[in-house]
Amino acid sequence: MISLSAFLWISSLLFAIGIAGMIINRHNLVVLLMCIELLLLSVNTNFVAFSHYLNNIDGKIFVFFILAVAAAETAVGLAILMVLYRQRGTIEIDKMDVLNG
Amino acid sequence: MNIVDFHILLPEILVLAMAALVLVIGLFSGRKQSSISYTLSQISLLISVVFVWNQIGMPTLYALHNMFILDAATTLSKLMILICAIFSLAYAKPFFNENPEKTHDYCLLFLFSVSGMMMLVSSNHLIPMYLSLELLSLPLYALVTIQRTGMNAEAGMKYFAMGAFASALLLYGISLVYGATASLSLSTIANSLQLLQTQYSTMALIGLVFIVAGLAFKFGAAPFHQWSPDIYQGAPTPVITLLGSAPKIAVLIMAIRLFSQSFVTFAAHWQMIWIAVAIASMALGNIAAIIQNNLRRMLAYSSIAHMGYMLLGFVTQTPGGNAAALFYVFAYALMTLAGFGALIVASNQGFEVENIEDLRGLNSRSPWIAFMILIVMFSLAGIPPSVGFFAKVGVLEAVMSVHMTWLAVLALIFAIIGCYYYIRVVKAMYFEPVEDASPLYSSWGGKVILSLNSLIILLLGIFPSSLIDLCRAVYFS
Amino acid sequence: MTYALYILLFPLFAGSLVGIFGKPLRALPSQLLTTLGVAISFILSAILFYQFIFLNHAPINQVLYSWAVADQLHLNIGFMIDRLSVMMALVVTFVSLLVHIYSFGYMYDDPSKQRFFSYISLFTFMMLALIFANNFLLLFFGWEGVGLMSYLLIGFWFQKDSANAASMKAFLVNRIADFLFLVGIAGVFAYTHSLEFSQAFIAAPSLAQTSITLFGHPASVLTVLCLLIFCGAMGKSAQMPLHVWLPESMEGPTPISALIHAATMVTAGIYLVARLSPMYQLSPTALSVVMIIGATSALFMGILGLVQTDIKRVVAYSTLSQLGYMMAGAGASAYAASIFHLFTHACFKALLFLAAGSVIIALHHEQDMRKMGGLARKLPITYITFLCGALALIALPPTSGFYSKDSIIDAVQQLNAVGSSYTYWCLTLGVFITALYTFRCFFLVFHTPTRVDDPAHVHETSSTMWIPLIILAIPSLALGYLLFKPLIIDSPSWFGNSIVANHAALQTAAAMALDSLSHLPFWLMLAGVFTAWLCYVRFPKLPTWFATRLSLIYIVLVDKYGFDRLNDFVFVKGTRKLSQFFFAIVDVKVIDEGAVHGSGKLIAYLSQWARKLQSGYLYQYVLVMILGLLVLLFWQI
Repeated sequence: MISLSAFLWISSLLFAIGIAGMIINRHNLVVLLMCIELLLLSVNTNFVAFSHYLNNIDGKIFVFFILAVAAAETAVGLAILMVLYRQRGTIEIDKMDVLNG
Repeated sequence: MNIVDFHILLPEILVLAMAALVLVIGLFSGRKQSSISYTLSQISLLISVVFVWNQIGMPTLYALHNMFILDAATTLSKLMILICAIFSLAYAKPFFNENPEKTHDYCLLFLFSVSGMMMLVSSNHLIPMYLSLELLSLPLYALVTIQRTGMNAEAGMKYFAMGAFASALLLYGISLVYGATASLSLSTIANSLQLLQTQYSTMALIGLVFIVAGLAFKFGAAPFHQWSPDIYQGAPTPVITLLGSAPKIAVLIMAIRLFSQSFVTFAAHWQMIWIAVAIASMALGNIAAIIQNNLRRMLAYSSIAHMGYMLLGFVTQTPGGNAAALFYVFAYALMTLAGFGALIVASNQGFEVENIEDLRGLNSRSPWIAFMILIVMFSLAGIPPSVGFFAKVGVLEAVMSVHMTWLAVLALIFAIIGCYYYIRVVKAMYFEPVEDASPLYSSWGGKVILSLNSLIILLLGIFPSSLIDLCRAVYFS
Repeated sequence: MTYALYILLFPLFAGSLVGIFGKPLRALPSQLLTTLGVAISFILSAILFYQFIFLNHAPINQVLYSWAVADQLHLNIGFMIDRLSVMMALVVTFVSLLVHIYSFGYMYDDPSKQRFFSYISLFTFMMLALIFANNFLLLFFGWEGVGLMSYLLIGFWFQKDSANAASMKAFLVNRIADFLFLVGIAGVFAYTHSLEFSQAFIAAPSLAQTSITLFGHPASVLTVLCLLIFCGAMGKSAQMPLHVWLPESMEGPTPISALIHAATMVTAGIYLVARLSPMYQLSPTALSVVMIIGATSALFMGILGLVQTDIKRVVAYSTLSQLGYMMAGAGASAYAASIFHLFTHACFKALLFLAAGSVIIALHHEQDMRKMGGLARKLPITYITFLCGALALIALPPTSGFYSKDSIIDAVQQLNAVGSSYTYWCLTLGVFITALYTFRCFFLVFHTPTRVDDPAHVHETSSTMWIPLIILAIPSLALGYLLFKPLIIDSPSWFGNSIVANHAALQTAAAMALDSLSHLPFWLMLAGVFTAWLCYVRFPKLPTWFATRLSLIYIVLVDKYGFDRLNDFVFVKGTRKLSQFFFAIVDVKVIDEGAVHGSGKLIAYLSQWARKLQSGYLYQYVLVMILGLLVLLFWQI
């Protein structure tokens, strides 16, 4: 039997990787979207683990909602990315600095 | 869902149904009938106002298995959200005239977002809270990008990425709280938190901090504020009238319910966290706004500062403080609407008001609009007799009543610093010469809406006590 | 209650409407609109008057709107409608209405009529707010409001430097007075925890017993409060030594002098003392101070009227002197007589000002009496009405001025308090002086050989100007006879218990008129008129002879006892020295270079830094958020 804390560690590791990806990655916006996906997956891991160990169904239900929302979110994100690419001809994060100050 | 639930949910159902209707009409109608979806949206918002109005005075009711709550706070704030939405949509009319092909999409997304706000206000469970928060935000990401210019796209992308990141933080926090309490319902969380063992308590506390970060992002409070200046600058102005006003009301109601009901056990902790966030917001917002030349960026920083003041009422954890925060956010929503609305009205074909210099000599070009902007700026600065003054007095009084005088003094110092940049706008309008002194022509509709909005601000400043009493009635029951 | 509200609202709306939309409205509709507003107010006031005086309605003391609440401090808008305020409102709206009508003619060739009418309408609103207030807050609002309108109207012709200077002077003098008044109000709040009059009245007896130590001397709290509030009254009612602004205020248009600086605003101080009579009555010290200051003003300001050459200034000094009479009456606890004199004075002094204005307009804005004379035939209506006003002013029985002034003198004579005999002699001598300067002015303007530059072109002014004169002449003559019984003799009088009444003359009006023949003031008054005739009609060289022989006195009088010189020396020069010090050392060195520029630089620096933080890079924003989150995490756990 794997302990709860193992799950928590793995999910926090995923979360940290996601954040690190957002901060370190300075070129590709698609990678950024993937990082966001990673963050949500780590949350899902958390919920499923808790739900299992607490014998409570709420967490699992929440996971389904999160999955659905994540899909919608990615759709919106990709749409905006398309617009950005058409206008600027690039999806580099470094080039997204017209708005500053 | 039984019939009682249906009555309780009627305003939200109406807005959602109308959104679906606009979607269908948008598919089948040509570009020429673009005004139909605008009219339909306004009508649906107005009918929704009537429905909410009829809910005033009802006892506290629950629907959908206690996931949805209807009480005095929700009714009042839904009313305010709808009023803000109506104003915001009316301000967008010139935008529709210029971009008829966008009208359907705009109205559709707008209505979805408004329904998200209304549901957020009423959520009594973390799942609907998360869902309505996303329903609020996702259409806004798209709305920011609606004109599909490079600036729009950049602002939209930034808003989206950071918004998604913030909701991930929020979700992570929720998952930790869920792990500690085995519950997602606000009322049961409160009970289980009191009986926690130490290691679970620490986990819940970590979750709490994550939740604070997620909500602070939605407020646009420092240090989770950095999206707002960029988005305010890059997004179309009509979108900001919505984005800057109504969501803050919804999130505040949610935050008050979440923290003062579910996290009562951690009151000392979250009070300190929010105080830190409030001070950071007031300081950063007011100081950073001074150097701004771009009006939208300036107003964005001012919104960060105002969120700090609003949080001051919330951190006192007294009914009076909550009421003061509620009054503050109402006042702020009206002011920010009028502020950005004035930018729309003062712009006309080929001339966009962007920087403070663009307002130079406005008094000689259009004295009435200049006077309306004057009212808004004085109100934002908190100069009597405007509603902004009473809003500030309210939160400061609440802070004083819990003997945090130092905090009130600090807030006052930042408010004085803040006066500078509002007065600068007034100075530009009234005392600086203008190169092109031709009279400014703007549409009657826009002028009327702006006048109405500004006069409400002035009127609430002269007779504030009716709204103050309403806000107090919400939290003193 | 609703009537009172509408009495206030009509002038407010008419005034603001004309103030905002004056230009597109054009002159005539603006004038008609404001006049209509005040006319409705007047009619409603008359209805209210009828209800309260004849139908005996009970006084109303009601909070209309709670403006803001902070702990114990309730900032309310509330009305106190009782017999006193109702009568006062009737007088104010009556005079205001006539001045509105009169201004149609007086301001005929002025380009900014809308501004003028908007101001006087708003002034009427402020004055009514002051009158109907049931707490110190609304009273102070009205108090400052009438002051504001007064400054604006004194400086109405802002092209003239003298008008601006006069406006500034009125403003500054009133600041001193209002500051002390505000301290008094704060004191009332500190001791009673309320701003309501009624609470202050209830607390007054205990406050009279409480004593505090001021500058090492014990003093009764009530006395201190009463004196502080009286300072406010001194400023507004132009009592010595805060009177200097009133003569200067004659720079404004003449209808303003009639409305604001004779009939209504300057009497606000007397109204205030009468309104707070339950407080003053318990403090003999405060009453004596009020009485002595009033008496001094009554005599010595009157004497100054003797050497003035500007027709409006003569009337202005007579106003100062009459205000002194009222104040002395209030100080002698004869509040009823004091308010009675206020009413009659409002009529005859407004009449005198408006008649003087009629003369001025007929002579094309000539105000110097040395360039007048012999106008009796040219301006018959103005002549007769001016005479009516003059007779009332010198208190010839049975004109209105006689009853009210004699009631005050009687009250003072019967009084036995500190300074009452001094007051009696000041007031009695004042009667002689009043008659002298009034008829000096009268003879110089209307009788003596004409000195007008172009006598042929002088003719009677337009009907909108002389109709108000006639309307005012009637009460100037008859009002005293009519009101003497109900206001002074009857018990209870028309005032009911709205003021403290403890003075009752025991004569009927007719008997009093006959009786006066055996009293000193009557003969002094006749002597005054005779002297004026002697000096200015019979032997016109006499005054010059006096002026050269008694040159010292003459110079002192022309110098107005040196008040201006003193002010100039002590306050203006002293303040300038002090401010130069503050400017050079404190301001430039400490505040400017240290605090303002220093903090300004600091903030600008911080602002730059905050701007750099907002780099525009997404990953940096995420980093800031994460850092913020981590700081909060490690701080709280």
